[in-house]
Amino acid sequence: MENQKLGIWVGTEDLNNDPAFALEAEKEFKHDPATADNKEVDISLESNRRDFLKYLGFGIGAATIAACDTPVRRAIPYVTKPDAIVPGVATYYASSFVKGGDYCPVLVKTREGRPIKIEGNSLSSITGGGTSARAQASVLELYDTARLRGPLAANAEGKFGKTTWADLDAAVKGKLNAGSQIRIVTNTILSPTTKQALSDFTAAYPNAKVVTYDPVSASALLQANEANFGVKAVPNYKFDKADVIVAFNCDFLGTWISPIEYAKGYAKNRTITSISGAKMSRHYQVEGHMSMTGSNADNRILVKPSEQGVAIAALLSALGGGGSARGLNDKAAAQIKAMAADLQAHRGHSIVVSGSNNKSEQIMINKINNLLGNYGNTISFTGASNQRQGIDKEVQDLIVEMNSGRVDALFVMGANPAFDIPNAAKFVEGAAQVGLKVSFAGLMDETTSLCNYIAPTNHFLESWGDVEPKKGYYSIIQPTINPLFDTREQEVSLLSWAGKNMGSSDQPYYEYIQQNWKNNIFSQQTSYATFQSFWDNVVHDGVFEAPAGAGASGFSDASVGAITQPIAGEGMEIAFYETVNMGAGNYATNPWLTEMPDPVTRTTWGNFLAVPVKWDGVRLFEGMNGLNTEEYRGKADIVSLDVKGMPQNVTVVKQFGLKEGTLALALGYGRSVVGEAGKDVGVNVYPWLTTDADGNTQYFASAATVSGAIAEDGLFPCVQYHHTMGVKGLDKKTGEEINADEAATVDDNILARMLGMQGFQGSLTQRSIIRQGDVKEIEKFASDLVHEREHHQKLNSYTLYPDRSELYGAGHHWGMYVDLNGCIGCGACQVACVAENNVPVVGKREVARHHEMTWMRIDRYYYGDYENPNVVYQPMMCQHCDNAPCENVCPVAATNHSSEGLNQMTYNRCIGTRYCANNCPYKVRRFNWLDYTTADLFPSNEFEINGEEIPFGADNLTRMVLNPDVTVRSRGVIEKCSFCVQRIQEGKLTAKRENRKLVDSDVRSACQTACPTGAISFGDMNNPDAPISQKMKSALAYKVLEEINVQSSVHYSAKITNKNEALS
Amino acid sequence: MSAVVSPIREPLITGSKTYHDITEDICGPTERAPGLLWTIAMALSVAGLATFAFSVFWTVYFGIGTWDLNRTIGWGWDITNFVWWIGIGHAGTLISAILLLFRQKWRTGVNRAAEAMTIFAVICAGQFPLIHMGRIWLAFFIFPYPNTRGPLWVNFNSPLLWDVFAISTYFTVSILFWYTGLVPDFATMRDRSTGMRRKIYNFLSFGWTGSAKHWQRFESLSLILAGLATPLVLSVHTIVSFDFATSVIPGWHTTIFPPYFVAGAIFSGFAMVLTLMLIARKVLHLEDYITLEHIESMNKVILLTGSIVGTAYLTELFISWYSGYIYEQFAFFNRALGPYWWSYFGMMACNVLSPQIFWFKKYRRSIFVTFFMSIFINIGMWFERFVIIATTLARDYLPSSWSYYVPTWVEIGIFVGSMGLFFVLFLLFTRVAPVVAIAEVKSILKTSGDQYKGKNAMPHHHAHDDHGHH
Repeated sequence: MENQKLGIWVGTEDLNNDPAFALEAEKEFKHDPATADNKEVDISLESNRRDFLKYLGFGIGAATIAACDTPVRRAIPYVTKPDAIVPGVATYYASSFVKGGDYCPVLVKTREGRPIKIEGNSLSSITGGGTSARAQASVLELYDTARLRGPLAANAEGKFGKTTWADLDAAVKGKLNAGSQIRIVTNTILSPTTKQALSDFTAAYPNAKVVTYDPVSASALLQANEANFGVKAVPNYKFDKADVIVAFNCDFLGTWISPIEYAKGYAKNRTITSISGAKMSRHYQVEGHMSMTGSNADNRILVKPSEQGVAIAALLSALGGGGSARGLNDKAAAQIKAMAADLQAHRGHSIVVSGSNNKSEQIMINKINNLLGNYGNTISFTGASNQRQGIDKEVQDLIVEMNSGRVDALFVMGANPAFDIPNAAKFVEGAAQVGLKVSFAGLMDETTSLCNYIAPTNHFLESWGDVEPKKGYYSIIQPTINPLFDTREQEVSLLSWAGKNMGSSDQPYYEYIQQNWKNNIFSQQTSYATFQSFWDNVVHDGVFEAPAGAGASGFSDASVGAITQPIAGEGMEIAFYETVNMGAGNYATNPWLTEMPDPVTRTTWGNFLAVPVKWDGVRLFEGMNGLNTEEYRGKADIVSLDVKGMPQNVTVVKQFGLKEGTLALALGYGRSVVGEAGKDVGVNVYPWLTTDADGNTQYFASAATVSGAIAEDGLFPCVQYHHTMGVKGLDKKTGEEINADEAATVDDNILARMLGMQGFQGSLTQRSIIRQGDVKEIEKFASDLVHEREHHQKLNSYTLYPDRSELYGAGHHWGMYVDLNGCIGCGACQVACVAENNVPVVGKREVARHHEMTWMRIDRYYYGDYENPNVVYQPMMCQHCDNAPCENVCPVAATNHSSEGLNQMTYNRCIGTRYCANNCPYKVRRFNWLDYTTADLFPSNEFEINGEEIPFGADNLTRMVLNPDVTVRSRGVIEKCSFCVQRIQEGKLTAKRENRKLVDSDVRSACQTACPTGAISFGDMNNPDAPISQKMKSALAYKVLEEINVQSSVHYSAKITNKNEALS
Repeated sequence: MSAVVSPIREPLITGSKTYHDITEDICGPTERAPGLLWTIAMALSVAGLATFAFSVFWTVYFGIGTWDLNRTIGWGWDITNFVWWIGIGHAGTLISAILLLFRQKWRTGVNRAAEAMTIFAVICAGQFPLIHMGRIWLAFFIFPYPNTRGPLWVNFNSPLLWDVFAISTYFTVSILFWYTGLVPDFATMRDRSTGMRRKIYNFLSFGWTGSAKHWQRFESLSLILAGLATPLVLSVHTIVSFDFATSVIPGWHTTIFPPYFVAGAIFSGFAMVLTLMLIARKVLHLEDYITLEHIESMNKVILLTGSIVGTAYLTELFISWYSGYIYEQFAFFNRALGPYWWSYFGMMACNVLSPQIFWFKKYRRSIFVTFFMSIFINIGMWFERFVIIATTLARDYLPSSWSYYVPTWVEIGIFVGSMGLFFVLFLLFTRVAPVVAIAEVKSILKTSGDQYKGKNAMPHHHAHDDHGHH
């Protein structure tokens, strides 16, 4: 048989296909080498050596590939480019931040359709482009994971389940009839169109009533103005026109009514522009606890909270307004007399304000301002503020009505009375009697959880709206993103329940607003002929200003009723105050704010009981009752605080500048029904508040008792332990005045006692960190400062560092200038920095371990008399030193210098030795201790922070807030302020594209734009015409730690006070 | 090697040993099954090593945030341990190199173990710069390797980079020195063993035959290495001190650091040698080779270096006051009287006050006192590094950033565990190599053996000594 299969053969045997050969050939190439020879092999052993190797290879390969799985975050590119979006280029929309009475006109920066940053709107004459920490942080709320995702209806057990808008509308409408007693409970409403919608609603339901109150209220102020001027309004305070400012327990720079506006005016008159003939306003603060505003005052007069009324009376009487003031402490009485003389000397150029919520006290304040001729000069009713409209009594009346069963339906609109009023428990009882309860809240809260239906409203960045913060001043809220969830504007809900047809268009409320503007606001101007051009311009600019009067009559006297009476004796009194970060509790779910240190106590993640500090004359600033002895080691005591027989445990913080016998505790904390980020943060103080005869809430309590330490708080999230610089106290032995804080820096131990050490040659107080002087001696102060700087610069000229002036002298050299007189400590810059630069939130535990990541912080130092010190706030960020100590110690050159004088951080190169952070004299470098951002190499190693499943901000929703221009840093690398290098690049590109030289206004850092007082300037130091170059030449300008020759690029301007020596 | 020895010197080898006795005594322990004490010590050390491994894993997996370092105090126990271990290593190099050049015969009894200690201490020390990195997987960035990123070089200005070179050089030279000394001893062990063991030692001894040429080369190499290692004794810790001295932080930025660190290193190194040798001579029955004379000599070095260190402490205090520089003044004021006063106090008590006891001969020769002192000094020197690193960082320029630091279990675990690593290595060493340099001890037998000199010496041997080695 011939082998014809292939036509190829090897030898004749093959060609003949010899059987013997075929057998041999079969053997030559074994088909299955392992089994071919060994057919009888045990069939259970199916794999052999090669299979084993195959399996092994596959197994290892598969395991390796599986282990290498890095987390994938998908980004989907645009298939069709939307009209308004250029990828990589930010789009700004004018809008307004509004929450209750808080207001800030803003520009919303959006990237690829996502709002990521809030900037101030400089077209507004109210804020001039300034912002607040709250406004800056508001963008994060848009992406809050706790937001309600659509309409909800409660079942019989009170559990909420999903529903549809149609079902909800039908259900609510079905329960209402024309005669229904409906109560709409709300905080201050600034929107004219919302008010229009409410009046349309009440037209449909004549028995509906709007109940307006404010958790931190100006109710008494409104009532007093009604009594004196016939108008229930907050007047227009012009702090820039006042030479003497007196504030009675009034935090007008931080939280009171319109702080951005007031801070702007206040700073204007306190900025030193020239040394010779320097002039600035004088600020007196009369208060019991150290408020943020009080910390900025030139003179503070300490009175207990209960002495507030008599202190005002004392001033009124000293100004010849009659009456008498008994019960005021002697020191304060004498100081008020001296202050009165100063006020008399500045008639018509002064402002007296009070945060009191007692109507008679506010009437006295009005009388004082009237006696001083301030109305018409520094205070007017033209452009009166709408920012507080609530009358406390209204909500109290509502509680009575509800408890008596006279209310059929309760609509909750942005208010949270089940938490933020003194008798919230009564409100909860009353609410149980109401058949229909609807909330418009976008987030679950104490009041919303009581409701039957939730019709969640949009976040302001998703909404249309309008604002009238002051009479005749309007601004627009426009959406910057489609609603993320199935929510709708509360006005749409109201109007559709009122029977208006809202279904015809995509944006029914937009049309409604336009209609309202056409009818009511268009007529207030003459610049635009057609409504459309008017509207387009207003939407573009965001603001429209046509100042109008409030219709106030002239001052007419009103009788002064009961004022707060001082409580005699030794009992403790406690002041409850609003903080810039927590508000009345409505900012509780915003971790950017929760983690922002309180400007005064420098604590985060909670409210801490401030106790007064006493100097023991040897080496201790003793906390009251010996509390918090070792605060400088991060150890804080927990005490039981009993007010009105309701004890609660609270952690203590030592506080300078508290009146002896006075405690202070922030309100708004301790929310119970709140998103994850707000849980277990602080204690709720509202139950401890009281109401006076007018129903007005009083923000203090007497007869507070504090136990001794009952436990030590393991987590004390305070970012600054050492508080003082140059605080003076009396030596116990000699009776002489000494640098108390120097002595207090000595640890109290055997060795120190043996050696009797009490400080060391001014080694603490003479540091060139803060500079403070008084305006009266400013010329000497300035020339001393100049001489000292010359001395430092002379020493610095003997340097080993190479002369780099040629390098840094050409092109740009970025620098910053911070005016310490302008800095009020409000923290807007800090939050702006967090937002701009993707700075992670780390949580309470990590802050307590000093792992906070803030690139910029505001250091707070007390100086002067230890009992009543002055305060310097010092924004501290990377100083971008030209001889940067961080740069030459990095073994891998991960941090280095740009030719424009920037100290830049290369995250990819950083191996995390932390040497740079150690060697930074300013301690501004931050290390990613743990995986705070989920940007790490391993996906599974997130250390549990505050019991969160994932780190704050790591959720895909929250990550939408990230700035795509800034790298998100991973674990194990150092980061720090970059002078907003992404903004510098953008500014340079803009100038280049426009083919012109770059000017300072092209590049504005995030902190600079956020600042309400303009304290921060940024620019090119090499440009002699740039504002920053001019400012640097000021005799008050200095560099922190100039003598160590790091050649920092940040200049500070000394803090100047205008103290009245007659008071000390 | 040998030179004329003054007759008033105490003998360094007791028990009238012959050359054969020495071989038997020193090789013996490696040829017998380990004793109970060794087994217990090994079990404890392995437990320590496991702690080390676990704590390091924890740190690398979760991050440096598992330590309690913070934004103010970027280095704590990690770098303290690093400097401490490096310092401990110095005694070995000093004994093997400088004392060799100075012809100090007593070094022969302890140099092998001291050099081993050096190597193991450097291994322990080398862990910390790695572990303390935020991203250890990128540690190779610190080497100047050719790359396509520019090329991107390391920063030659950084003292941390100098550390890399200093320590790797130190480790290399120490290993070479140690191994060179081991070659003839391995040959001795080879000659006594059979089978696999013989093969291994044969390999390790590089075919040593003991020929005159071998000995001559051996001596030359030892001398060259001693010459190389001598500057290293001074340079390594000088460079380690540059980590601090070249910084801008008050309390770190001082020119006194290099000599002060070197003295401190030798001080702590000798303390550690004593701790180890006092145990080893007991456990391995080497009392005849590590005599009271050896101990006394080392105590003298401790007294000297301890006093240098003490003088440095006082000089620092004086200069900080005298400088008139407020930050410097505060830094030292804070060390002594700030919140970490106890560590400064501990440092002063252990390092400066307690070694003064060695002015008395009685205590210099007391094994009990010496052992406790050696432990004290190890603690004190650890405190010194802690004071310099953590206390200084805790309160520097800006009072707003001052903080306080207490380690977490992870940091403690790494430190305690690093001792486990050290002792595992050391205990293995006692099993596989002669703990005393056989060849070197033999070389001094006829000049320092007690049968040749001292009150027990036989006349014949005296005569031999007088006319012998010249």
